[in-house]
Amino acid sequence: MPDQSHRRLTRRSFLKAACAGTALAAAAGQTKVLSGLVAEAGAAAAPWQSKFSACDMCFNRCGLIARVENGVVTKLDPNPKFLKSRGMLCAKGNAGIAQLYDPNRLKYPLKRVGARGEGKWQRIGWDEALDLAASKMKEIGEKHTRCGMWFTAGSDLQSQFVTRFAEVYGSFNVTSHESLCLLSNNRAFLDTFGEVPFADVLNSKYILMAGANRFEALVTPDSIDLMTAMREKGAKLVVLDPRYTKTAALADEWYPIRPGTDMAFMLALSHVIITENLYDAAWVAEKTSGLEELAAHVARYNPEWAEAECGVPAADIRRIARELAAAAPEAMVYPGRRSSDYENSTQIRRSFAIVNALLANWDRPGGLLGAREVGLKKPGYDAPWYDDNPPERADAGRAPMMFEEDGSYVLMREAVLSGEPYPVKGWFVFKTNPMQTAPDQGKTRRMIDTLDFMVVVDITMSDTAYLADLILPAPSYLERCDPATALQGSSACACVVQRDPVVPALFESRPVFDILKGLAGRLDLAEFFDFDIETYRAQQLAGLTGAKEALEQDGVYYNPSKVYGIYEGRIYKTLSQRIELFNKRYDQMGLDPLPVYSPPKKGPDKALRLVVGRSAIHTQSSTQDNALLNELEPTNALWLNPADAAGLNVADGEAVEVASSAGKGRLPARVTPDVPPGLVYMATGFGSISPTLTHIHGNGCSIASLLADGYDAISGNAALHETFVTVTRSAS
Amino acid sequence: MSAQYAMIIDSSRCIDCRACVAACKVANKVPEGFWRNWVKQSLPVPVAGKPGRGHFQPGACMHCEKPSCVTACPTGATYKDASDGIVKIDPKLCIGCGNCIPACPYGARYRDPVRRIADKCNYCPERRAQGLAPACVDTCPTKARVFGDVNDPESEAGRLLRANTNRLVRVVNTKTDTQPHMYYLAATAPLDWPAEAVIRPPMAALIKAVTPGVSALVGLAAVGVAVMAGREFLAGKSKDHEPRDRS
Repeated sequence: MPDQSHRRLTRRSFLKAACAGTALAAAAGQTKVLSGLVAEAGAAAAPWQSKFSACDMCFNRCGLIARVENGVVTKLDPNPKFLKSRGMLCAKGNAGIAQLYDPNRLKYPLKRVGARGEGKWQRIGWDEALDLAASKMKEIGEKHTRCGMWFTAGSDLQSQFVTRFAEVYGSFNVTSHESLCLLSNNRAFLDTFGEVPFADVLNSKYILMAGANRFEALVTPDSIDLMTAMREKGAKLVVLDPRYTKTAALADEWYPIRPGTDMAFMLALSHVIITENLYDAAWVAEKTSGLEELAAHVARYNPEWAEAECGVPAADIRRIARELAAAAPEAMVYPGRRSSDYENSTQIRRSFAIVNALLANWDRPGGLLGAREVGLKKPGYDAPWYDDNPPERADAGRAPMMFEEDGSYVLMREAVLSGEPYPVKGWFVFKTNPMQTAPDQGKTRRMIDTLDFMVVVDITMSDTAYLADLILPAPSYLERCDPATALQGSSACACVVQRDPVVPALFESRPVFDILKGLAGRLDLAEFFDFDIETYRAQQLAGLTGAKEALEQDGVYYNPSKVYGIYEGRIYKTLSQRIELFNKRYDQMGLDPLPVYSPPKKGPDKALRLVVGRSAIHTQSSTQDNALLNELEPTNALWLNPADAAGLNVADGEAVEVASSAGKGRLPARVTPDVPPGLVYMATGFGSISPTLTHIHGNGCSIASLLADGYDAISGNAALHETFVTVTRSAS
Repeated sequence: MSAQYAMIIDSSRCIDCRACVAACKVANKVPEGFWRNWVKQSLPVPVAGKPGRGHFQPGACMHCEKPSCVTACPTGATYKDASDGIVKIDPKLCIGCGNCIPACPYGARYRDPVRRIADKCNYCPERRAQGLAPACVDTCPTKARVFGDVNDPESEAGRLLRANTNRLVRVVNTKTDTQPHMYYLAATAPLDWPAEAVIRPPMAALIKAVTPGVSALVGLAAVGVAVMAGREFLAGKSKDHEPRDRS
């Protein structure tokens, strides 16, 4: 990598370049010297080597530069040429070093020797570990068909190899982390626009954000662009959130909407937009289908009705509809990301998508954008066919529009527990932690108890790993070679990043690719893993002229492609080949073709609704034991409104017992007006059962121990906000 | 004109993600429990239907024009470098007496438990030597922190300072206005947190006894006395070395 020191963009010029939508020009023409910062620059060579990588502390994969001194990574800096992150690295990104050098890391393969959950382990060698896993997989495959093995992989550049392995081994049963996350939102936008869009926040003039907390749950470039749009371009941010999040605290307007009633608000927006003729009639006529049905459908959903449901004054709903329409098409109902909240989340998010479609906030600056081609190739393979396999996935047939490639964790767990439609007795888990992130920890535990064999590949001994029969240590992202991956986000980029080892793998850790290769060799599947990642990457990049060089030179490759107007002359991937206000497929399947409002379920008397969410410090359950991030946010607390706290005789900071239909927990109360009466909130990832996670073992409370196991009826995505809890002052 | 390195902070851009805090801790190997920088919060009770009222305020050593920490330092280890305006600590001269810690109204200093000397933000000289911005500035997602020589009108910091002369805010305690070179753009909050500088009596007396021009020299000459005094302070006032509230 060439010396960066004289070619860095200034921060402002960098942002401006990005703002102007001249991402490529900026990437190519970074010449402005970092003004005023070189006063102390002497002839001294850098005390560090600089190596490109892409962060893995969350799913955003921000391009970064690792500084390495005497073989030790001493600092991770943002890669200024990586436009999707706008040249930043967040707290989690900075803490990648603490993950690499975490003393609590898994160091060698461990075989369970005590009872499950007893925490007794025996150190074994890799050959023994792989022999054991392969023999168990063979046994399960022979006894229960190969679909008796379930594979679950978290968000990782090597997760594609887990999917590949599952397919060639012969199991349909693969679940991603996404059915605990965003699938209902994806479903909704896919079933409206024919694809899952990116939000052009940077160029938007009016952003209505509901069910998203972009200043804490960081998504690049949206989180950064939101601030730039607001402060430099005068964009207006209106936030609907029962909780006073940091996003709400920085918004132009905030409404503590009643939980589970976003759809009422959105339907009323459609009502106002249609009855007042605020939509782009020509555009809607040309691109969409179902306006008549929608108009008839929302006739009854006026703002006064919505006010009674969602608590936002009718006059404000009406005004926001008019403001949004006036700003359109440089406006948006922000699609959001995690939508694992309610049992009708797909329909809720459909109501978001429909407002965007009515206002033509699509394929133009400031609205929602379609995905661009990056051009990365996916090396193919012909998976063998196994005649004895059952006809479909074990979790099939329960959610009508479940994504085949992602499945549903909640529904798969039901299938495993019930043994229906067929036995699933083995579980391969890579770098995901459903014991902490999936609802109803007790049920996950009971499900694990029915398994004949469970192997977990991870960096530390997560709560899920703690229950495994075999634990295999994986390196952090700074220690491995990873395939190239395509990234997109608004107008910022359509780009490619990859990883090479910044330092050699520590301890006896092995990348999951090597593990799968080892298993494939033992299971007569070697031919499907007869390559290394460098070769694979070369195949991915074939045909992308200059990509290899750009990745070496800049740490990122941009593929120039059209940002706006990409749907000109193209059909939409829906049944009607148009943007579907009225969803034809749903209609055919007997699902509501337009979102029909039903009030959120009421809890038992005196019960409080539990909601969960993110801060900017932690990622799901994977960072709470990271020494640096734990120092920034060491535990969790139950946010409780002062009125509820008074009724329960609970003071701020006092420990409370929380109980739900799924389980119970204990943690301190944080008495705060930032949650409304009747609602409590807690952050994810604490109260770990795994003793080796020394910062969080027994510290705080796990959301998984309390959340009930509902799911979105259409997509099978988990429904994490349908839980009611009772709170009592802790005796001790 | 000599340089004055400074930070211009648009705190209205801060989202309290604390990337700056994490980056600083890593870049400067700040020990567990200590911080060279912070983000303070102002979160008044929310009002539905109104603009959010939250405000987040990044900060660190303000490299003041009249640094009370320099006044409090008995050995001259803490000094304001005339060439660049940065308040620095010479580790060879610091005796770890801890006098500078309560002398700073902003809680910007701590005593490094390993090196047993005072420490604080020094604008990352190792990074600047390589043409990189200080770690907190480089990593900031929303570019709330701008760093540079405010005496250089060509620098981004200098330009911002000149363009915003009427709306610059310095967060100070009026009883000890140290004239910080940390400039906030327009309304920032919270404002009520800087403390009154505490210059410990023996040192205050010592320093008062001499003219300002020779105080540093006398300070140096008084090293022996100060070492003893310092030990006494450490024995009696250990809580001054606890981490400061970073709310």
